Amino acid sequence: MKTTYRFEIYPNQHQSTDMSLSEKKMTEWFSKYCNIRFDKLFKVNYFLLESNEAIPEIDGFAKTILTDSVTDVLFSSKSKNMDVLSYLGKRGFSEPVLCDVSFKPGVTDNSAQAVLEGFKLIPDLKKYELNVASGECYYLQSAESLTDQAFEKVSYEKLANQLLHKVTIQRKEDIAANLRMQAPKIVEVVSTSHEATTIDLKIDNSDLMKLNTDNCWALSLDEIHFIRDYFKTLDRNPTDVEMEVIAQSWSEHCKHKIFASHIEYTEGELPAHMKKLGNFEVKSLFKTFIRGATEKIKADRNLQWLISIFHDNAGIVRFDKNVDVCIKVETHNSPSALDPYGGALTGILGVNRDILGCGQGAKPIANTNVFCLAEDSFFKENNIKLHPRLKNPDRIAEGVHLGVQDGGNKSGVPTVNGAFVFDKDYVGKPLVFCGTIGVLPQVEHNLSTAEKRQQPGDYIVMSGGKIGKDGIHGATFSSMELNENAPASVVQIGDPITQKRLGDFLIEARQKNLFSSVTDNGAGGLSSSVGEMAGLTNGAIVDLDRAPTKYPGLSPFELMVSESQERMTFSVPKEKIHQFLQLSEKRNVLSTVIGEFTNQGQLLVRYNGKTVADLNLHFLHESLRPMQLKAHIDQSSVEQSKNAHWLNGKIKAEVKPTDAKAQLLSLMASANVRSHEHLVRRYDHEVKAATLVKPFTGSEKIGRHAPTDAGVIWLYPHGGERDNAISISCGIAPQISQYDAYEMAVWALDEAVRNSVCVGADPSEMVLIDNYCWPDPITSTKNPDGAHKLAQLVRTSKAIYDLSVDYGMPFVSGKDSMKNDFMADEVKISVQPTLLVTAMGRVRSLNHITTSEAKNVGDLVYLIGPGQLTDFKKQLGLYKTLHQAISLGFVNSAHDVSEGGLAVSLTEKIMSTTLGLEIDTELDLFQESAGRIVVTIDPKKQKEFAGLFLSDCAFLGTVTGNSQLTIKNQFSAKNTETLAAYRIKAAGALS
Amino acid sequence: MKKKVQALILTGDGINCENETALAFSEHGCETKIMHVQDLIDQPGLLSKYQILALPGGFSFGDEIGSGQILALKLKYSLGVALTEFINNKKLIIGICNGFQVLVRLGLLPKPFTERQMTLTHNRQGYFINKWVNLTVPQSKCIWTKSLQGKEIALPIRHGEGKITFAGDQAMQHNTFQSLMIQGQIALSYTEDVNGSYQQIAGVTDPTGCILGLMPHPEAATSNWLLPDGTAKKSGQAFGQHFFINAIKHCEEML
Repeated sequence: MKTTYRFEIYPNQHQSTDMSLSEKKMTEWFSKYCNIRFDKLFKVNYFLLESNEAIPEIDGFAKTILTDSVTDVLFSSKSKNMDVLSYLGKRGFSEPVLCDVSFKPGVTDNSAQAVLEGFKLIPDLKKYELNVASGECYYLQSAESLTDQAFEKVSYEKLANQLLHKVTIQRKEDIAANLRMQAPKIVEVVSTSHEATTIDLKIDNSDLMKLNTDNCWALSLDEIHFIRDYFKTLDRNPTDVEMEVIAQSWSEHCKHKIFASHIEYTEGELPAHMKKLGNFEVKSLFKTFIRGATEKIKADRNLQWLISIFHDNAGIVRFDKNVDVCIKVETHNSPSALDPYGGALTGILGVNRDILGCGQGAKPIANTNVFCLAEDSFFKENNIKLHPRLKNPDRIAEGVHLGVQDGGNKSGVPTVNGAFVFDKDYVGKPLVFCGTIGVLPQVEHNLSTAEKRQQPGDYIVMSGGKIGKDGIHGATFSSMELNENAPASVVQIGDPITQKRLGDFLIEARQKNLFSSVTDNGAGGLSSSVGEMAGLTNGAIVDLDRAPTKYPGLSPFELMVSESQERMTFSVPKEKIHQFLQLSEKRNVLSTVIGEFTNQGQLLVRYNGKTVADLNLHFLHESLRPMQLKAHIDQSSVEQSKNAHWLNGKIKAEVKPTDAKAQLLSLMASANVRSHEHLVRRYDHEVKAATLVKPFTGSEKIGRHAPTDAGVIWLYPHGGERDNAISISCGIAPQISQYDAYEMAVWALDEAVRNSVCVGADPSEMVLIDNYCWPDPITSTKNPDGAHKLAQLVRTSKAIYDLSVDYGMPFVSGKDSMKNDFMADEVKISVQPTLLVTAMGRVRSLNHITTSEAKNVGDLVYLIGPGQLTDFKKQLGLYKTLHQAISLGFVNSAHDVSEGGLAVSLTEKIMSTTLGLEIDTELDLFQESAGRIVVTIDPKKQKEFAGLFLSDCAFLGTVTGNSQLTIKNQFSAKNTETLAAYRIKAAGALS
Repeated sequence: MKKKVQALILTGDGINCENETALAFSEHGCETKIMHVQDLIDQPGLLSKYQILALPGGFSFGDEIGSGQILALKLKYSLGVALTEFINNKKLIIGICNGFQVLVRLGLLPKPFTERQMTLTHNRQGYFINKWVNLTVPQSKCIWTKSLQGKEIALPIRHGEGKITFAGDQAMQHNTFQSLMIQGQIALSYTEDVNGSYQQIAGVTDPTGCILGLMPHPEAATSNWLLPDGTAKKSGQAFGQHFFINAIKHCEEML
């Protein structure tokens, strides 16, 4: 008889009965954000074990798997061996209330999976059919009397997510009676599938748009008409599977329709500070300004090291004699808005899969992440009440941080670079940028690893996780603004261990030459991965009923477009399939043949032998006509856009200190300058033992708390040359967008480049990655200023073209996310146009590595770069000269001047050391601009150094031993003061 | 030709420091083999060919319940005999971070084949920490730390569950600690309290000194270039490499 046990794990009698630090922090959280004081909070994990029949001596087995004999005791529903109420009494509870948090059916439950594997290891249990679910018990006690509903409500603020979890409240008497132990049960997914159906598109427009909304297709009316007309020529209606495949293939997320559109750009009278670009037409922003820049640079410079760009999952470059390096940066904004933890986790794991699916499969060696977030305190200080559907921005911050932490750490990929950017407008949609760098051998089995080689006749194999309802409509959903009807099924939780096994298996299978091609299952699921791969062979047949599912009840269209995580699609030559599947089984990776590649020009999908989709690949991939859009910007559109801001007139004016020292200290503590060390040190940034420049630096004596400019990764441990490394850095400046989107892009791109140059990368071997996150740039009734935002998009794109061409640094990969708006009840919150530029440069010798902190008393301080960056070619010359000075060993430290201006940069150079600076300058200490770097140099090399730069460097002063920043005739600030201000949030968090 | 020392480095199921651990051995003339746990389980006899076994860091099985717990069970059920023989032959074992947690949960540290006396549990802070820490290397039986004993060294830590906790009440915990001290089994201590570990213990060796388990990562401190700031890169010391040199030297003498 089916039996279910419940096991709870409690600390034994030798452990402290005080609240743990994390429990204490949770109570502080509740008092800060929910205004509820819990004087006690105690968290206990539990597991439900379901077996097809009763298991004798189950408690003993459960103890072995679930508890640590040194610290834990097990409370079992079998023996009911504990008096929980008196146990809680010893922890100071008199009136405990239990919030039992369990997963909703079908949600990825990683702990349960691990525990199930544990139980299956035990020889005596091999004969049973087992299933496991996990959950958490929170015992709470508050002096206030709260209703069950109130407890439930606060649980969803912090302990649970309504989309993923179910919360059950139990009172003291239920706890005493062990109600939860009475009849434990794992709730299964109840779902009924339906056969593929045909959809009649010969209906009127309003009905078509209703179909569009109901099915989450996110198509435009024009596109639906186009589809209708196409099927008219075939003399039939499309099936639901076909509509779903088309909708996701043509989604903004997958097709980048805005970047491919024809745009007519016009300028009216512009504010004086804005660069005039004139009126022009662009056939495609991507082809003209991004790929266009790269092609021009490649031709101008005759570059041989661009191996594979723009057409694969990541760009591949050759910065080493032995290995190639690839890089990709993605965003995962919409999922992170709904479930910050799961969204960010799947963001990291997803971009790792882009690397695994690059060429013949690259190995991820480093991650980057940039968060653009809002802060709760900003809204509190300005007395702004947020829409009830908005999550507390601080909770979003905690969630996305934990997601990236788990995603990187558990995969064994170091997080080497990133940024936290705070702005109120990210409260509607947070931006979560996740990047990954990978390596692959240049040649393996005598063939280039950069190429995909699927052939007609190769099997289509899906490997990794099973398919569930998670992530259905992710691609189309992220192509819409966030509204009330966002489907819960788009939420996904990543499973790092399944992906780690899949990644390890993939690399091993590649080394053993067991497949011909691979790509990841990201947005759009099988529809996208198979659809793309079929493009090369010109056809594929998929038998959907073969695909393994998490639970029964999935309809054919769901199988096709589900974005269930941790899956890769391989093409495997028939003669290798046996070996491939054998290795897969041995490595505990699920692999299933689901079809084969053909050359018939069709994507043919069957379910139980019946054809459910038969789509022409040319129609699917090539037929969509570009949109025709108009972009316009002038004085009044700039004004209107300012006035339309959702907080216009509601923000208190900032009071800036007038005293320079006070201004410096306040800047050091401000959101976009201050330290996030307490968060960043929770990422593993040096696993793989190749991170040469880590996120922080300083001196051993003071601690390493000062920021570095870029991550540097040694290629030798990854199969590269011994004396060779790459830099990874980023630049972002959304605060400038309102001023001018052209300027914003210049700042972002230059900052990324500057950071890499600072750590010793060679500006003549550097590549760029662009990530746009834009508010909706298409005009509609809901979005009257679309043309202005589109003009900002054009200006940004023109700027990065101009700058990258003058710098000679090609784009190798990029991504855009176009609907970063939140809309509910007349409230519309749009992100500022945001461009993240990531730079990857070659550090030709480890001797070139330069860190940001000042090193020696007596060194001389110089400022390099102009007050304003307008002459791009000259700027490149400066970077080349600086690089020469670094290679010659003149430069002992280099640090960029960014947020907060010169004073902040100077402070950061010394605050985490025992050194000081004596500075004599007339320059504005706080002016922010692009293009400047502060260096300290060996005084013996002053003449040579100054000779290299001539008039383009300014002498600022000297390095002293007195632990303070002294600006002559202005002020002195002790390192202890500046560091304390800088670490206002970070201090103490790790000790 | 001189015979080379052979080291086996395990991988798979979420282990993720296998490459750098292998590199730390091979840079000093040791022959290394990175092997998937499952391949060793399929052929346990392969283990006898090696003089050194390394369990690298990582997140085995995602560390969803006690870290290292499930990998330890897997090794216990399928490699118990081969491991016992390896230990009885006084061969060397190192468990780093997650590998240390596995050795402890296997019951191999602090004293093989006796009742579990210690564990590694959640850091006092409640979360994962990556930073460089200073450590003292006490006089001990540990072969791996031989040339470092008496010195203060620096290594990175990268863990969420590194707090050493002993079984039983306070008196019993104190007794266990005392006996480890007296028998020279404390191999490594933090110079300050970094994670709440009992008496700031960072690494423990077995009574023979052959088995070392430690939370810090010596394999990530094998070159000056890996040191954590600009000054250290120029004039600091990469202490991590000496763990591997000591082990290889010991095995060479045994060959």
